[in-house]
Amino acid sequence: MSEVGILTESERVTASGAPPVVVETRGLKKTYSGKVDVPVLHGIDIQIRAEEFVAVIGQSGSGKTTLLNLLGALDVPTGGTVLINGIDISTLDEDELARLRSDQVGFIFQFHYLLDEFTCLENSLMPITIRHGDVTEEERERIMSLLARVGLGDRMDNRPDEMSGGENQRCAIVRALACSPKIILADEPTGNLDSRSGEEVFELMREMNRESGVAFVMITHDDRLAQAADRILLIEDGLIHEISKEEHRERMAGIARERAVLRSGVI
Amino acid sequence: MNTLSNALIPRRLRFESQLAFRHLLSGGGQTLLTVSAVAAGVIIVIFITSLIFGLQERLTELLTDAIPHITITVEEPAPAPLKEVPGASEGASSSLIEQQAPQLKFIDNWQQVVETVYTLPNVRAVAPVVSGQAFVSKGANPVGVALVGANPALQDIITPVTKNLIAGKYIDLASDEIVIDAELAKDLNVATGERIRLTSSTGATDSFTIAGIYSRGQGRGNAYVTLRTGQSLFGYGTSVNAIYVKLIDIYNADSVADRIMALLPYEARSWTREFPQFLASLQVQTASAYLISTFSLVASGFAIAAVLIVSVLQKSKQIGILKSMGVRRRQILRVFIFEGLGVALVGSGLGAIIGMTIVFLLSLFKQPVTQVGQTPDPLFPVRILPFYIALAILAAIISTVIAAVLPARRAAKMNPVDVMR
Ligand SMILES: Nc1ncnc2c1ncn2[C@@H]1O[C@H](COP(=O)(O)OP(=O)(O)OP(=O)(O)O)[C@@H](O)[C@H]1O
Ligand SMILES: [Mg+2]
Repeated sequence: MSEVGILTESERVTASGAPPVVVETRGLKKTYSGKVDVPVLHGIDIQIRAEEFVAVIGQSGSGKTTLLNLLGALDVPTGGTVLINGIDISTLDEDELARLRSDQVGFIFQFHYLLDEFTCLENSLMPITIRHGDVTEEERERIMSLLARVGLGDRMDNRPDEMSGGENQRCAIVRALACSPKIILADEPTGNLDSRSGEEVFELMREMNRESGVAFVMITHDDRLAQAADRILLIEDGLIHEISKEEHRERMAGIARERAVLRSGVI
Repeated sequence: MNTLSNALIPRRLRFESQLAFRHLLSGGGQTLLTVSAVAAGVIIVIFITSLIFGLQERLTELLTDAIPHITITVEEPAPAPLKEVPGASEGASSSLIEQQAPQLKFIDNWQQVVETVYTLPNVRAVAPVVSGQAFVSKGANPVGVALVGANPALQDIITPVTKNLIAGKYIDLASDEIVIDAELAKDLNVATGERIRLTSSTGATDSFTIAGIYSRGQGRGNAYVTLRTGQSLFGYGTSVNAIYVKLIDIYNADSVADRIMALLPYEARSWTREFPQFLASLQVQTASAYLISTFSLVASGFAIAAVLIVSVLQKSKQIGILKSMGVRRRQILRVFIFEGLGVALVGSGLGAIIGMTIVFLLSLFKQPVTQVGQTPDPLFPVRILPFYIALAILAAIISTVIAAVLPARRAAKMNPVDVMR
């Protein structure tokens, strides 16, 4: 395969000239069943292509995390299909799904979720360790230079509890990139950070996306970050709508006006 | 450390072993608790087995040291109902079944018997003896005693006398000399050199000089005369009524006795058949040793399972994140099995060392010396038995791994989406 998470030219550009689709959903549905069934997604059709940086927005509880888990084959849909790199994941068994996650997908979560027992470097190498049992000198070098790139050159031997939230999250980005996935799914990666380190983390993701062509799907509540993405997907009432940046800006303005009205009405 | 573990653990298991190791390291108190539980189980097993089996060995030694391992006598026909007696008339029946009255039972060809027995393997000594009941007296009331007429050198191997002498001698006993035990001497109020009268159960009477007085410290013992004297006292001529056999390996007595019976027309009873209650009590002890061992291992297994279940719950978020990185179920299962295995190895190793140290320290305690020149016996007759230590370690490892399986399976089955919410 290609080096350092960079797609080869042939992978990057299809015959039509557009980058290949890495993740696609068709009529995707998800209902959580329990005492009462909770229908969350009612039929979602999206395509994410290599090199894209997609922001997913929507109100709390609208189903953003649900969608992300389905895109990463962490959860099984109750209807429709998910295709990762062209493979219908419903045809795969447990082991094949695990393999797929390890090969094609990287996750970044809001609460960094590094392993407490390991150092920053060991955490970043974890996906490789999981896959091969140990790490070659080459891979170590590559990850170390990535860590240096994200400003963790002098933090490599620190444990997660000895690093700041932003540092943890930057380490998680390197970890997500470790196996050179096709797509990285990030669930509010900046949600737990102050705006400055949030921005830093976002910038890093954007850089990695541009350099290696790995697609990003990022859930965010930060409208400025959504504005900086390539595309914006809005989840509402269990359906997904692609909105342009102008539409998004108008919505933001509308919400701001509403708030102002509400505030003046209350006082 | 790393290079060592790399050499020991195959590459494809290194992620699991490394994570298990880190879990145990970061587990701190929990890890210590489980390791202690395994160690405690192993210590108890080592302690109980070495104590009980050591005690058994010592008891068996004490018992078999002072008795013939096999006694050869003339067969005593068991009483049978009349209708089973060959040649009895048709329809004859008996209402009374009675043991035959004791009779003199001669082993005439005892030289040949002795020779034959000596050809068998594992035989240490063979002693032809005449034994019977007698009364001894010093002026006043006669006192009953069991009398053994035997060659002193041989008898010393069968049932030691010389070693237990308080006064006088046994070896080189003359035909008019007798060795009695200390209690009898006290009852008769006699000392060595004095003469006593002896009347055998067949009525022969003679007087003897007390050549020696011994004590085994366990009740009244036999009185000893020479074989010749015994033969004439009980009217055996040149015959004997029993042949005692001492073996090298006491646990082989049954098979030697069977061989003797196959070769010779006499009855040969091994000590194990002579003391069935003793053997039964040993078996009860053995059973209780196994029972206690099993219980303690099961208990430590439960402790480990409980701690591991808690640790799996604590790690559920981590399990979720690992699954999102492509860890397979099998790998998660192995991580927790390895944790159990690590705990078992360290715990049982530690337990073995501590257990053996305790047993060794116990073996240093000695009983107070009652006689001058006596080598003191250990207070606790413990034995370090490598077989049972190995067994304890193995059992601890197996029970710990079994205890780890349940929580490990639970971990492996965790749904990442559920645990990470
Ligand atoms: N495992 C589950 N069982 C039942 N209901 C669930 C489960 N997971 C999520 N839900 C419900 O599904 C809906 C969507 O949840 P989801 O976590 O996808 O929302 P979200 O858009 O990520 O919200 P937030 O912005 O607060 O993270 C919510 O109403 C939630 O309560
Ligand atoms: Mg969410």
